[in-house]
Amino acid sequence: MVRPPLRTLTALFARIPNLTFGGGDPTMAALERELVTRRGWLAPEQYGLAFGLARLTPGTNLLAFCAAAAWLLRGSVGAVLAVVAASAPAAIIVVALTYGYQVLKGNALAMGAIAGLLASAVGMMAAAAWHLVRPHLRRGEWLRALVLAGGSVALLLGVAMSPVAVLALAAAAGFFWRRSEEE
Amino acid sequence: MNLLLLYLLLLKATATSFSGLTSLPVVRHDLVVRHRVLTDRQLNAAVVAGQTGPGPYGLYVVSVGYFVAGAPGAFCGYLAMVTPAFLILPMLRYLGARARHPGVRSAIQATTLAAAGLIVASAIPLARDALTSAAAAAIAIASFVVLIATRLDTLWVIAGSAAAGLVAGMFL
Repeated sequence: MVRPPLRTLTALFARIPNLTFGGGDPTMAALERELVTRRGWLAPEQYGLAFGLARLTPGTNLLAFCAAAAWLLRGSVGAVLAVVAASAPAAIIVVALTYGYQVLKGNALAMGAIAGLLASAVGMMAAAAWHLVRPHLRRGEWLRALVLAGGSVALLLGVAMSPVAVLALAAAAGFFWRRSEEE
Repeated sequence: MNLLLLYLLLLKATATSFSGLTSLPVVRHDLVVRHRVLTDRQLNAAVVAGQTGPGPYGLYVVSVGYFVAGAPGAFCGYLAMVTPAFLILPMLRYLGARARHPGVRSAIQATTLAAAGLIVASAIPLARDALTSAAAAAIAIASFVVLIATRLDTLWVIAGSAAAGLVAGMFL
């Protein structure tokens, strides 16, 4: 794995979370693309570990994810810089929006741009899920991958299980149901 | 309201919730009902501001802090939002040291696959809200295709989507 310079890492965490709309999940999906797919800084398993633990951490999942991902790459300093970079500009924007929302609400152009951003967030999330599942869709492993990914969707949407419980259940299932080469 | 108390009340809300808006009932109980330093209308405006801007929905606590005590209050809200994030580091250190065990490795892989499922599950309600027109659906599909088929910088996808949404808003 590549150890990125602190400046580059901080710039990435300042750029993606502060430009992605739709909440933490689309942002983590966009970060998957940058950290895993495009730059190869994190292995998919490291991304999965950070994502899973972020779900188990109280507070804002995205910021816990940023702390974890940056800690894996550049330790504690990286974690602090990533959390501040990922949140401070957006926090300032939110304070500005607190006043400006009523004005913005009446502006058709601004609402059109926001609608486009929210729509792209949907595509971004679907792409991130695909990137995480695709490496496991191979002989001897595809059934396990589909059961674990599909089962998670079914448990969350079908029986309204909490995401934390779904991840814990998946971890327990994965511990006992291993890939053939892991056994 | 005392800034330390504001920070501690907002921290109580963020540290006992597991995603953006799940802290809302605690914030409302403490600041609207108990201390009466915030109105329901202000709380709603804070939630809307948090959802309209970029970043996590949990950012609404910054707006709540601003309503209660101005810029210093917003800073208290910001600190209350970021503090719990660092709880992940001891967990990561503990699990990272055990990541070579085949069972732990398999469990982490399973969690990765479950994470993919959770991302899809989160995308469904967002899609219901966001894909209300043919143009929005086209933007979502185009974003998906570009992201899985090319190595284009995500920033261009974000900028292109905003531009396409703006054009659609003007002409459709």
